[in-house]
Amino acid sequence: MAKKWGLFLVVLITCMAAVFAGGSGESKSDSSSKVLEYWNINTEGSYKAIMDCALESYNANPVNGYTVKASPVVNDKYKEKLAIAMSSGQCPDIYSNWSGGPLFEYAESGFAQPLEDLLENSPIKDKIMPAGLQQATKDGHVYGVPYQNLTLVGVYYNKSIFDKYGFEEPKTIQELEHICEVLKADGIIPFALANRTKWTGSLYFMSLVNRYGGYEEVAAAEAGTGSFESECFIKAGEKIQDWVRKGYFPEGVNSLSEDDGQARQLIYREEAAMKVALANDIGTFKNEAPEFYAEKIGWFPFPYDENYPDVDPTIQVGSVGNQFITVNATGEAREAAFALIENHFTDASIQTAIDTGCIPPVIGIENKLSDPIQKKLVETVLNASAIQLYYDQYLPPAVSSVHLDTCQEIFGLTMTPQEAQAQMQAAMEEYNAGK
Amino acid sequence: MNSLSKLRAQETARVAALFLTPVFLILAIYVFYPILESFRISMYDWNGISPNKTFIGGDNWKDLVVDGHFWKAFRNNLTIMVLSIAIQLPLGLSLATFLEFGAGHKILKVYKVLWFVPLLMSSVAIGFLFTYALSTTDGIITTISKFFGGGNVDLLGNPKTALFTVIMVICWQFTPFYMVYFIASFTNIPYDIYEAAVIDGATRSMYFIKIALPLLKPYIKSAAIMSLVGSLKYFDLIYVMTSGGPGTATELMATYMYKESFSNFNMGYGSAIACGMFILISLTALFTLKVLNRRNTDDLI
Repeated sequence: MAKKWGLFLVVLITCMAAVFAGGSGESKSDSSSKVLEYWNINTEGSYKAIMDCALESYNANPVNGYTVKASPVVNDKYKEKLAIAMSSGQCPDIYSNWSGGPLFEYAESGFAQPLEDLLENSPIKDKIMPAGLQQATKDGHVYGVPYQNLTLVGVYYNKSIFDKYGFEEPKTIQELEHICEVLKADGIIPFALANRTKWTGSLYFMSLVNRYGGYEEVAAAEAGTGSFESECFIKAGEKIQDWVRKGYFPEGVNSLSEDDGQARQLIYREEAAMKVALANDIGTFKNEAPEFYAEKIGWFPFPYDENYPDVDPTIQVGSVGNQFITVNATGEAREAAFALIENHFTDASIQTAIDTGCIPPVIGIENKLSDPIQKKLVETVLNASAIQLYYDQYLPPAVSSVHLDTCQEIFGLTMTPQEAQAQMQAAMEEYNAGK
Repeated sequence: MNSLSKLRAQETARVAALFLTPVFLILAIYVFYPILESFRISMYDWNGISPNKTFIGGDNWKDLVVDGHFWKAFRNNLTIMVLSIAIQLPLGLSLATFLEFGAGHKILKVYKVLWFVPLLMSSVAIGFLFTYALSTTDGIITTISKFFGGGNVDLLGNPKTALFTVIMVICWQFTPFYMVYFIASFTNIPYDIYEAAVIDGATRSMYFIKIALPLLKPYIKSAAIMSLVGSLKYFDLIYVMTSGGPGTATELMATYMYKESFSNFNMGYGSAIACGMFILISLTALFTLKVLNRRNTDDLI
């Protein structure tokens, strides 16, 4: 019997040794090789075109002997995939991200190198919109460079439906609600929304918060000096539920999927008249239905509430850049990676972006655009006193996920705005306490 | 003679060790080590990517015990478990019985293949298929409802129906598995018993209830355990169809674990959830096994 146990132990020890040998033998993505791994979400369409253009010009003139290999990943699972790669020590040398809370989380964990020194001596410093860089800057360090698209949240609408009823583009929420009432009475869904994706409904929430409380309330709540339970958040939730009860959204709004285009289909079939969306939709519209887009789609910024005259109506929700390039590589490789970033701002890259329906976040872009909606969008950005980055990118992930979940419940009428905001505030307090 | 048998025993042990080592290695690396590691990580406050972890002892566990979200997910898992066993097993068994009794008819071979198809599809494909089929604006159910003058039917977006809708899809996927499983079990019943029963004048239903069912009992039991464990750690279909939503209506322990670990950067807490799952599933399985086995001895008496 004792012998059997002895054998058992030998086997066990061999196993353990194998496990630990495996653990220590694992190597970080080999830093000696001269290939930089670049992860991003540019799998198709305009974003791929921009990236290909920059990559091509970089790889024609590599810096310090480094070439760049791009690995595009589908958007949906990108963030999780990146986190898993980082946790297993396989973080790519260069990666694309949305800036905000998660980026600072990467930086704190040592996976994002500050770039301000290289930026200072680079010609692209005077090209990039400062508001874009601001989104990726913390404590004076720049951790990411915006390169892709100016994505402002606004209201897309069907011009022929508006013409039919003689509507003007609404300036105030009261005018907007009047339009909704008329449309609803005539069997047209006022807003196309697919909210299984959760962030789509959040666009309405954030836009309303901006109109009831402005920009500072969110920053204060995030810093711990304010609260997510303050009036503007509750009011935004109540307004949404009011609109849900009045039937301004499609039935079963929480089961429709934005990724499958179920909201856009309502627009194309002219069953719905408006859609609060990101500027990314311009590219998608142009791609899926170019004639429909040219003929029928109009755009106006999210209206303000005339009962809140003190709130600045020029504040917008959006991202000045959408995607940001962050560098994990150090030393010479970091300089090479930065050269790749610079290649995103060549005239050819910028022109590619414009041609494919994007608005690259560079100064003077308004003079290069011909699309009327894009022009209007850039004007709105330039007139904005502040741009609120989406909560699901701006807030720490643990808080933003609570926001997305509770916001969906607000749309489903399964939670009151008070309950939803209390949960969000609790998550924020917990996060701040753990910092 | 004594030494010879001893030698033989030694030899056997040596060979056994040699042959068991590969299995042991694989189990150690891919099962035991990750479980132990999860327990270790659950003691830390760690975002999953940072090189620094803070040891916080049992804090994650204390949070887990009072976390309403986790227990809600566990209740959802239990609902799936109970309904899975209550629907998939009887349905699988009746399909198997139907095919078994009708053996010989050619058309049944076609049915057998057709009914088996859902199991051959990947869960992700099934998830997408049913999200389209059940879509509120132009899915099958909505179209039927509209044909009869009703309105849109929202099954997946309504927190009251979402879980049951997903369970129906899960049953659609896994009933064929139990069908095949029971067909295989039927072949383990010797044909003589059937012949003897027929000679003694038993009808088919009598044969099924009095003879086949008792003989199938051990198989039904293991099927129930399989279904139980599978339901408690279920993930893929739910993740594709609802990712736990709307709100937390279809949240499962596994989807919650995934969210905490990889979306919310709470790897420490996510590991605590994983370990909690491990403990809960083990306990439920052990308890069920015990109950099932006790019934068994009662029957013998």
